[in-house]
Amino acid sequence: MTGSQIIFYVLSAAILGLAVLSVTTRKIFRAAIWLLFTLVGIAGLYFWMDVAFIAAVQIIVYVGGIVVLIIFSIFLTQQSGQEMPAPPLLRKVAAVLAAVSGLTLSALLLNRHSFTPADADFDAGPERIGMQMLETGAGGFALPFEAVSILLLAAMIGCIVIAMKTKPAAI
Amino acid sequence: MFLKQYISDVYQGVKSLLRGMRRTGYYFTHHKEIITQEYPDNRDTLVLAERFRGEVVMPHDENNEHACTGCTACELACPNATIKIVTRFDVTPEGKKKKAIDTFVYHLELCTMCNLCVEACPTSAIKMAPTFEHSVTDRSKLIKKLNRPGSKIREGVE
Amino acid sequence: MLSLEHITNAVHQWLYGNLSEGWALFAEFVIIGVLAISLFSILGLVLIMMERKVSAYMQVRIGPNRVGKKGMLQTVADTLKLIVKEGLTPDGADKFLFNLAPFVVMVVAMVILAPIAFAKGFQIWDVNIGVLFVTAVSSVSVIGILMAGWASNNKYSLLGAMRSGAQIVSYELSAGLSILCIVVLTGSLRITDIIAAQENGWWLFKGHIPVIIAFVIFLIAVTAETNRAPFDLAEAESELTAGFHTEYSGMKFALFFLAEYVNVFIVCAIGATLFLGGWMPLHIGHWQGFNHVMDYIPSSVWFLGKTFFLIFVIMWFRWTFPRLRIDQLLNLEWKYLLPISMINLLLVTVIAIAGWHF
Repeated sequence: MTGSQIIFYVLSAAILGLAVLSVTTRKIFRAAIWLLFTLVGIAGLYFWMDVAFIAAVQIIVYVGGIVVLIIFSIFLTQQSGQEMPAPPLLRKVAAVLAAVSGLTLSALLLNRHSFTPADADFDAGPERIGMQMLETGAGGFALPFEAVSILLLAAMIGCIVIAMKTKPAAI
Repeated sequence: MFLKQYISDVYQGVKSLLRGMRRTGYYFTHHKEIITQEYPDNRDTLVLAERFRGEVVMPHDENNEHACTGCTACELACPNATIKIVTRFDVTPEGKKKKAIDTFVYHLELCTMCNLCVEACPTSAIKMAPTFEHSVTDRSKLIKKLNRPGSKIREGVE
Repeated sequence: MLSLEHITNAVHQWLYGNLSEGWALFAEFVIIGVLAISLFSILGLVLIMMERKVSAYMQVRIGPNRVGKKGMLQTVADTLKLIVKEGLTPDGADKFLFNLAPFVVMVVAMVILAPIAFAKGFQIWDVNIGVLFVTAVSSVSVIGILMAGWASNNKYSLLGAMRSGAQIVSYELSAGLSILCIVVLTGSLRITDIIAAQENGWWLFKGHIPVIIAFVIFLIAVTAETNRAPFDLAEAESELTAGFHTEYSGMKFALFFLAEYVNVFIVCAIGATLFLGGWMPLHIGHWQGFNHVMDYIPSSVWFLGKTFFLIFVIMWFRWTFPRLRIDQLLNLEWKYLLPISMINLLLVTVIAIAGWHF
């Protein structure tokens, strides 16, 4: 077992353990923090794969954006500091069943495809990603990129419209 | 119009911030402006402000004479009974009785240095002194007698 | 000439010559860790001393002047005091998160240190996404503050943490946009490339007025991101009694305090790298003689000089301006800095495409 493999297994074990902690803890804020560490672990996995750009985006979007948003909504909620009551046994069993079935479904789907390892000089630098993003030919992402940017623009304008104070009617 | 207002806001904001920074920058580079006194080290050369009020004193001249007539205006003016004047009656050579002070008692521990007694005094017999090292080991030492032993009122002060 | 580059290369070769590859890498990690920790403690001592002296002179005072020569050992004495103090954990606090928070803040500061080039060839990790890495990781530091505020079980701490979160999340935008200006001009995210692009002049001088505007916006935004006055609403002593670290004492408080100064150092190092050329000496176009004279000053001195100049500017801000109100703070970001930096980014893009920069 090489050092790289050891790092992979340690990271994966940490991600899985923290994910389990995040769904079993009964304090909502702790759940958010465990989720945060899970996402950081996934970013670590990306760093391990040498796709630093994706890792940085993972940290910016999930850790810096979504988890902070979750924490903010927890802060703004009443009585969020209290421990939640333990769920009834039936719900626990149902949750475990749902998780196991989801896992088996994705495992079955993944097993139907054979994955070939990438060749050694696999380039995922920001230049390559940027060119691929704006590529209009085969394998390019120009259209989805533009569609997503229009969607985000629409969302931002919608936010501004909602947040804008209505002026009193002109006299 | 809106744009003009916006640009002028930004310009004015930056300008006023830079003005503030110029002031602090001036102080940073000009150490002679420092007003801190390194107290116990410069005890001998310490210069206090003219208006510093440390305690009430009664100035006596070289003949051991003061200007207090014993009118008790200061005692009445004092808001917290810091001054207590004990008067006596002297007999003048013409045989008239004249009021004079026997003891001018000043309680430093009660004084708030409000300066009202000095303002009330019609003959400017008392004033505020710029002393501040008042610490003593016993509270009773803070009760001071302001007129010196054997002193008397200056001629011509009514 | 003995330079840091030669020392690191010699150590690297010695380690790889005498140890197996895995152990050599491990040994390098250990050396880097020790160096980073000692850098942090020295930075803490130096910067706190500097802040106290700068603030004193700006407020027409003398400042610390008793412990050691001219008071230079004052921070050492303060650190000793903090070490021997008891680290209290309040009743009703979430103990685990309460104790974890200062370490999160500190570790984040340590991770951001990785891509910074301290001197020529003296860099921990020359990652191809250098500045993006810095912006990404620095957004994690807000988590430590939110954690501390929540776990303290104190309303002041919670308010401070909320304010800090709102502030960091919003000012990250304009800091990111002004960093992007330089990335557009350089065409690379890698710190080495950005420094190499400034060989014939720093971006601040080469990039015309838009880069100067970006520099000013960057300075304002990072002052807000590091929670320093005039943007210190998160710890506002007079209204929130120190905000998120109200309940902290002893060494845990010291870690927060140290992290603030280390973050200031890091953002100033980034600013110096992006706008003032990092370790690159002052070069003016093709004046060979002048450039050669400047090359005699070691690159680490250039880097530290620029960084400490920016730190001084940020301290200057702190001791000049009064604190903003929360609505003024958000107005400044969303109504002024963000629109200006967006238009500025467009201008910089035009300059970069047309090749108008020197």
